[in-house]
Amino acid sequence: MMSGFETIVMYLGMSLLVVLAMLGASALLGPFRPRPQKATTFECGVPLLEPGHKRYSVRYYLVAVLFLVFDLETVLLYPLAVKYKALAQLGWGVFFEVFIFVFVLLVGLVYAIKKGAIDWR
Amino acid sequence: MADWQIDLIKVVFIWVWALLIAVVMTWVERRASAMMQDRLGPNRAGPFGLLQPLADGIKLFTKEDIMPEKARKILFLLGPPLFALPAFSAYAVVPFGDKIVLGGKEIILQVSDVNIGFLYVLALGAIGVYGMVIGGWASNSKYSILGGLRATAQLISYEVPMGLALLTIVLLYGTFSLREMVLLQQGTFLGFLPNWGIFKQPLGFIIFLVAAYAEANRVPFDLPECESELVTGYHTEYGSMNLGLYLFGEYVNLGTLAAITVSLFFGGWTLPYVDMSKFLGPVAYGVASFMVFFIKQAFFLFLFVWVRWTVPRFRYDQLMGLGWKALIPLGLVNLFVTALLVQLTI
Repeated sequence: MMSGFETIVMYLGMSLLVVLAMLGASALLGPFRPRPQKATTFECGVPLLEPGHKRYSVRYYLVAVLFLVFDLETVLLYPLAVKYKALAQLGWGVFFEVFIFVFVLLVGLVYAIKKGAIDWR
Repeated sequence: MADWQIDLIKVVFIWVWALLIAVVMTWVERRASAMMQDRLGPNRAGPFGLLQPLADGIKLFTKEDIMPEKARKILFLLGPPLFALPAFSAYAVVPFGDKIVLGGKEIILQVSDVNIGFLYVLALGAIGVYGMVIGGWASNSKYSILGGLRATAQLISYEVPMGLALLTIVLLYGTFSLREMVLLQQGTFLGFLPNWGIFKQPLGFIIFLVAAYAEANRVPFDLPECESELVTGYHTEYGSMNLGLYLFGEYVNLGTLAAITVSLFFGGWTLPYVDMSKFLGPVAYGVASFMVFFIKQAFFLFLFVWVRWTVPRFRYDQLMGLGWKALIPLGLVNLFVTALLVQLTI
């Protein structure tokens, strides 16, 4: 039996081909008449007052750090979840493993919320 | 025919089918919006304006590619393909029907039944975020950057509840393969309900649906591109087919999310109480299962439009609050309860 990944590769190849074809066709079909005004940054026809890259809120980083922790948690639990039914037949051990693992993270989430890590004021 | 030829036909057919759904969806969206707002909508190109998506496509193809002078050139060009590639490819693991017998050969109606199943869809969805971030950053315009930042924070926040909702589903069915999950949803539950995921995981379904709307950047969570504040968000500076890839990729994503919802929570191609394979021929059964799946998927696609004109947009702090203070704790509690129920009923 085939694992099926060669078909996935075919599918990805098809996507790549069509995306490149679409961009190529657009470049060929579209006109090319550059003007300096066309290449300006979008801003209602007035000159830009400040550069686009400014400093922005640190909360975006906090959210990213929290995301790393919780997404890794789900990733680590996936293999356990697949085998959960088989392991559950052996007793309550696996349930308590899941319980402790998630409980620790739940405490972390409550701490982060109490500290105001995701309050956007 | 050799196996690889069948695979190739399936790949081309489903690729075109997934894109066709997205194309028609752009028309449905505009017509249904018009219907709900009591106006006409596009009705000039072809019957009922059905050729409107084609006209839009031609327009996007024949527009000039404009590169803003302040943009980071390479990243600016990299953004749209990086967003569109995963979006176009995610449909590969969706079981769009049971099986069909053609020329004495049994063909399963799924491009590839890989053992990682929907993890493939999740992984591609995560790659798609890069397309938005890179596009927004490289444009070097304040609207694009703000849109890109919002998109990142929103998408990564809602990936966690979505992962938790799917985790409980995996715990229940013990497999990643969408095809095996659909097969496990045949029959009845508690004697009278269809054996669908929604009745076993009602809370998981709600969490998944809300997270899916946020992942697809749809109203009420369309903050990365809300028109009244950010013009169009991360793709403000794009034009021509570069913009087309962003817009198109979003509609293909809608189709994939609807298909995943159907196969996880609504029994996929199966009908409740009726076993179609008993009284239909092998070919007719294949076509019928395909149609059943498509009708269920079409309902969820329409739901996207329906919700768009029903619910107003969230504020950004409300969005983050809903994700981190409501959905993630709910998802964790749901995980506990499901694990406990599985343990008790084993």
